[in-house]
Amino acid sequence: MSTPGQKKLQEKLKNSLTQAVPQGKVEEVDYAGTGCHLEVLLDGEGMRPVAQVMKEKQFYLETITAVDYIDFFELVYVYSTYYQDMIRAKCRIRIPKEATPLSISPIYSGAIWLEREVYDFFGIRFQEHPDLKRIINPDNVDYFPLLKNFGKTKFTAEIDDILC
Amino acid sequence: MLNKITIDDATLEQRVYQLNLGPQHPSTHGVMQFILTLDGELVVACEPNIGYSHRGHEKIAENRIYEQFLPYPPRMDYLSALIFNYGYCQAVERLCGIEVPRRAEYIRVITSELNRISSHFIGAFDLVMALGAFTPFMYCWDDREVLLDLLEGVAGSRLTYCYGRFGGVRNDIDKAFYDGTRRFIDRLRGRMKDYHDLVTGNIIFIKRAKDIGIITKETALEFGVTGPSLRGSGVKYDVRKQEPYSVYPEFKFEIPTREEGDCLARYQVRMAEIEQSMNIIEQALDHLPPGPIQAKVPRFISPPEGEGYFAFESARGAVGFYIVSDGSRVPYRIKVRSPSFSNLYVMTKICPGHFLADVIAIFGSIDVTVPEIDR
Repeated sequence: MSTPGQKKLQEKLKNSLTQAVPQGKVEEVDYAGTGCHLEVLLDGEGMRPVAQVMKEKQFYLETITAVDYIDFFELVYVYSTYYQDMIRAKCRIRIPKEATPLSISPIYSGAIWLEREVYDFFGIRFQEHPDLKRIINPDNVDYFPLLKNFGKTKFTAEIDDILC
Repeated sequence: MLNKITIDDATLEQRVYQLNLGPQHPSTHGVMQFILTLDGELVVACEPNIGYSHRGHEKIAENRIYEQFLPYPPRMDYLSALIFNYGYCQAVERLCGIEVPRRAEYIRVITSELNRISSHFIGAFDLVMALGAFTPFMYCWDDREVLLDLLEGVAGSRLTYCYGRFGGVRNDIDKAFYDGTRRFIDRLRGRMKDYHDLVTGNIIFIKRAKDIGIITKETALEFGVTGPSLRGSGVKYDVRKQEPYSVYPEFKFEIPTREEGDCLARYQVRMAEIEQSMNIIEQALDHLPPGPIQAKVPRFISPPEGEGYFAFESARGAVGFYIVSDGSRVPYRIKVRSPSFSNLYVMTKICPGHFLADVIAIFGSIDVTVPEIDR
């Protein structure tokens, strides 16, 4: 269902992204099933060059989130355009558990709160973040609620066995 | 960076002090707090303090099967609950590749547009009430009451509906709803004139709202502002048009925009959107197709392994459900991109330089729902 304009923009974006992060994998994904047009897969770092390209192409930052895969984290940055021929690009960055990734707040100011949220729920400390503290949970708690091992007891394990 | 001048930098002459607005304050629309640094009556820095109504929906989702999580999204944004409900259904449907019957899609569009009108009533007239005019708010409550009755008739609850199901809706609409909606639209068309006479042209309202809290296009892009707050800044962005989902491409409607980007523009966009929603509802009622309202879906859904980000337009902006599935009946991770979260953060940028009373106006015009920010 993509229009010619979308195809052109997608091609251009793919080229610039490949130039910006040659170590990464830029691939087109099925829009109907995933809601995204482009996906960037990276290892360890590369959030800043991607964000720079996106800012130049007039994309806005939809959200930043993380997924806890037990052995590692995956940071997910979703970008989208305001204008006609809308393109959504998702950047997935795999980072080790104790890593301190670079903040993209110098590029997108809106990332300040989004990264604070990621820190609040996953304990990922962003480097060069101007104001990294908890945002939704109280300041004095010592847990990170969205980690997979948070709140797991024998009882919940039994429930999981029944459900899955 | 933000918060350049803090209370620590204040000299004696500057008379800088901090004021807590909230968490229990009539014009914060819920439980949230602003920590305002003021110089006299001028705002130097504004820091929203959120999290008072955090209930951990995203964590709950990881411990429920997909069907059990259905009633939770409506509780995030209680003012446009149906839209969130359908948004979650649609996200899971697209992940599984479920085809929704056309009649169900039409019913979804009709009810979600009704919900959008009721939400915009609050959005537009809460601003007016925050500026001191109480009467228009009671007028809109009168209309909203009819709307809530209509939706209660089909969905069963008045505010936090759970009417959508995977692959369709819970039950078919009846004649009472059909006729009632027609009557309501006719009535509202007449009432819109009253609203415009009462509020839109009111000189006191215009003086309080004009040139206050200007969001420029660049600021909007940097902070990820969406919804009526963005369209008030002259950007023609609406997920219903840009990234059509459901049966929205079949309807003719405009995206109202204003160039000014101030509180008045955001109010005007909301009022114009109410009229566009009425157009959509009328077209949908005219062409309501017969047929089933539920697709055949398995009793328990287990989407294939993979992930997706699915966006839809709530009354406050672009919402996204990011769902990671590991192939089981329980979602591995659900992340909700809430528009109010980004829209609220822009206040730290636009509030400095305004009077304290204008902060109330800006906050009212951005129209956030607090449970949606905190989730």
